Amino acid sequence: MDAFGPKKGIFPSGMGRRIGGRLLIFLFMMLFLSVIVFYVSRLAPGDPLEAFYGDATQSMTAPEMEAARTRLGLDGSITEQYVKWAASVIQGDFGISLRHKRPAWDVVRPLIGNTLILGGTAYIVVFVLAVILALFCARFEDSLADRLICKIATAAFYIPTFWLGVVLVLIFSVNLRLLPSSGAYDIGKAGSFSNRVRHMILPMIVMVASHLWFYAYMIRNKLLDEIRRDYVLLARSKGLGRTRILITHCLRNVLPTIVNIMAISIPHVLSGTYVAEAVFNYPGIGALAVSSAKYHDYNLLMLMVMLTGVLVIISSMLAQSINEIIDPRMKAGEEAY
Amino acid sequence: MDPFEITQNRETVLELRNLSVSFDTPDGEVEAVRDVSLSLAAGETVAIVGESGCGKTVMCQSVMKLLPNTARIKQGNIIVCGEDITNYKDRQMRNLRGSTLSMIFQDPMTTLNPTVPIGKQITESLRLHGKMSAAAAHGRAVELLNLVGIDNPERKMKLQPHYFSGGMRQRCVLAIALAMSPKILFADEPTTSLDVTIQANMLDLLRDIQKKTGVAVALISHDLGVVARIADRVAVMYAGKIVEIGTAEDVFYDPRHPYTWGLMGALPSVAIETGTLRQIPGMPPSLLSPPPGDAFAVRNEYALAIDYEKMPPMFKISDTHSAATWLLDSRAPLVAPPVRNHIRQDVSKSENLRAVGKETIIKVVDYVQHFRVSQSLTIEAVRGVSLELRRGEVFGLVGESGCGKSTIARAIMGIYKPTSGKIYFKDKLVSDRRSYRANRRETARGAQIIFQDSAAALNQRMTAEEIVSEPLVINRMCKSRRELHDRTAELLALVGLDSAYLTKSPPELSGGQRQRLAIARSIAMAPDVIIADEPIASLDVSIQAQIVTLFQKLQRERGFTFLFIAHDLSMVRFICDRVGVMYAGRLVEMAPTDELFSSPHHPYTIALLSATPSPDPVSERAKKIVQFKPELDAADGKMRELSTEHFVRGLF
Repeated sequence: MDAFGPKKGIFPSGMGRRIGGRLLIFLFMMLFLSVIVFYVSRLAPGDPLEAFYGDATQSMTAPEMEAARTRLGLDGSITEQYVKWAASVIQGDFGISLRHKRPAWDVVRPLIGNTLILGGTAYIVVFVLAVILALFCARFEDSLADRLICKIATAAFYIPTFWLGVVLVLIFSVNLRLLPSSGAYDIGKAGSFSNRVRHMILPMIVMVASHLWFYAYMIRNKLLDEIRRDYVLLARSKGLGRTRILITHCLRNVLPTIVNIMAISIPHVLSGTYVAEAVFNYPGIGALAVSSAKYHDYNLLMLMVMLTGVLVIISSMLAQSINEIIDPRMKAGEEAY
Repeated sequence: MDPFEITQNRETVLELRNLSVSFDTPDGEVEAVRDVSLSLAAGETVAIVGESGCGKTVMCQSVMKLLPNTARIKQGNIIVCGEDITNYKDRQMRNLRGSTLSMIFQDPMTTLNPTVPIGKQITESLRLHGKMSAAAAHGRAVELLNLVGIDNPERKMKLQPHYFSGGMRQRCVLAIALAMSPKILFADEPTTSLDVTIQANMLDLLRDIQKKTGVAVALISHDLGVVARIADRVAVMYAGKIVEIGTAEDVFYDPRHPYTWGLMGALPSVAIETGTLRQIPGMPPSLLSPPPGDAFAVRNEYALAIDYEKMPPMFKISDTHSAATWLLDSRAPLVAPPVRNHIRQDVSKSENLRAVGKETIIKVVDYVQHFRVSQSLTIEAVRGVSLELRRGEVFGLVGESGCGKSTIARAIMGIYKPTSGKIYFKDKLVSDRRSYRANRRETARGAQIIFQDSAAALNQRMTAEEIVSEPLVINRMCKSRRELHDRTAELLALVGLDSAYLTKSPPELSGGQRQRLAIARSIAMAPDVIIADEPIASLDVSIQAQIVTLFQKLQRERGFTFLFIAHDLSMVRFICDRVGVMYAGRLVEMAPTDELFSSPHHPYTIALLSATPSPDPVSERAKKIVQFKPELDAADGKMRELSTEHFVRGLF
């Protein structure tokens, strides 16, 4: 076989097959995820009717409760409930939120943007800073600055996020009165960009500070693994300096790892958003997710889980594709021989 | 060498004056290079030979200043093109590296960045040092790839290294090293990890390029055959010192230092006349606190009293030749060199005394092995091989990497299930799982395997005693613990390890000792057949000689049947009775050793034999390498018997 010739069949049919295969895996994973969460959430003790009627359930008669259950789709075995739920989801209907007494999607929709803006920005800032910091530390390996940053990284790992949030509020909002302490925007200024940014600064700092060090430290160590490889010796014998080797040679080989870490860290950063939302009273879906689990708001909970699931699965698939572009050897077994 | 070539008055490009380099380690200072003086002239190739750990690589890397921070130059000067660079800082060195000084490394599979296209890896230094425009650098890179013999360079510039074979990658590394037309090229074992035929081409290429560009080459090698082929001068290093230096002719035909004698005597092609390899006893000294006298004294059978006390100076033998041994002092007794390097290609092996029976012990019939890697890819590792091993013989299986030698070994051991074909062990079918299990007592015990890399094959956390006694325990061979212990100690003694080694684990042992341990384990069950898969490939020459001598001794005493898998043809010639040559999953030729080496028939065998370097500079330089063209290997060829026992595939 001519290793350099265009390989027959990879494009387009091979490409089609790969995408088709991934789509199948995606659907299967979503099915698996929904089944597991659906069943597990119903194992928790408590009556979902309380979420809808509150204390009123105590004065309801048995037939009334039965009727209410049928109306809300809570009757029958769990499997029956699941089939009913899945059928309506396929048609784009996620059911109504038991607690908010509105369609679940309508509850989530106005808040999801806020969370995505906060989480997404923090996510990008964390990784851009992490790579820069890691490169700096690897460049000056074992120098005072490097050792200091590594120490901070370890210490920062133990600082509780909510505590940091409260401290920041005390300093910047209460004492210095520089930044707002809560909310996503001041009343009546929803459209003001600068106002939104000012509200985001503190939650951002909290999120970045709680995630940055961990990832920077991880990437630094990967870079240092890489700089001990043979090809670096060849690069040095070409006359390249350490900075240049790190950026043009090592970083490229570490990139697949970074991309993978980025993909699997999405839920991690997302859960950080929830904490920040709680501390700063930021209107996002974080609080919603917590309360939906607490109050047996099944439909809302399932919607949140499915959204997170889609995000995680798609991003890890995207990561795989990006990595195949960076390092073609990753197309498992296809062209390695 | 061209007799009319000017050899004198060539510009000296590199000069080392009394260079000493040491490393700071937690255990103390390791004196890796000790008081080395060496010069290198434009257009010449100096080979630095010696066993691992003798300081050859450290010496070269100290010139490039590529050593880790724990290394420092203790004394001496490094002069490159008339400029003293001893105290150069990294910034200054960066201007020299890649432009004046260049280096190529041992393993081309790891020295290229896997994710960066070849073209970019070449243009990088052109743009850096030459300040070339992208287009100019591209043009020069294409030119360089052409120079190193890579066809269709325009297209290959864009490809990442994994599209290239090992030999091609080494050519790319060479192209990178030559990018800025350096004055000095350090080649650190550049062909060690390549197949013999590819090695030969690579050496020719190196010599060609030197002729065209006039670059001075410092070749680090442990393979004296390779050295004989391309070196003008040879420096022999031992324990961080140069012990002998001279032209290739001086060192190969008139060696003076006992260590050089030892190295030569350990070569199978030198030893073939006498039938015994000369062993250098013992191991190189630790450089943590090197002995005050000649570091080689303890291993030297000709050592004089003064050798233990005082470092011998360099004695001048001729204008070009000098050696550091007290034997050359006028007061020393006259010692005749024990080795005569007089390699005659026509010599036949001393008649072996082994009783090779007619009984077939292993029979492989039409063995085919496919490995399915993915849906679209199946590797045909072995494509129909038939052979038999007779009781008491040493059968050599040779061929380039990936030709299926090891696959056959594993199938005989029952590790792989053949895709088709049958393998018999003493008339019992082992290629079939059920039959293998039914006869397990006999089959599992009857054949044992030794791997190339025993550091990886032996469990790091087990002691030597546990490793050797494990098969005895599994098969309940000993009645009491006492007996088990005695048996184990006895087995270790048999391979030359005393009972102090019982409690040691593999990481505490040297490569040679580990291989001895693996041998002790394999003979524990008193097997009929021992399969040795490249058992000496990763060992130093003197240790190779020790292990091979051990094999010979065991074979003589116990009458094992050996399947010896190797790529070193001279060693195969030395110990094997019959040899099978494999190419691309098929046996292409099989014959008694002498017959095969004196009248090879298959074009692949001919190419392989011509590519094998021998430690004889004059004949090596003159030798033309026969190239093998794959299309010569007929696809439908059958093995035909040419003369008694001599089989060739196809009609040749």
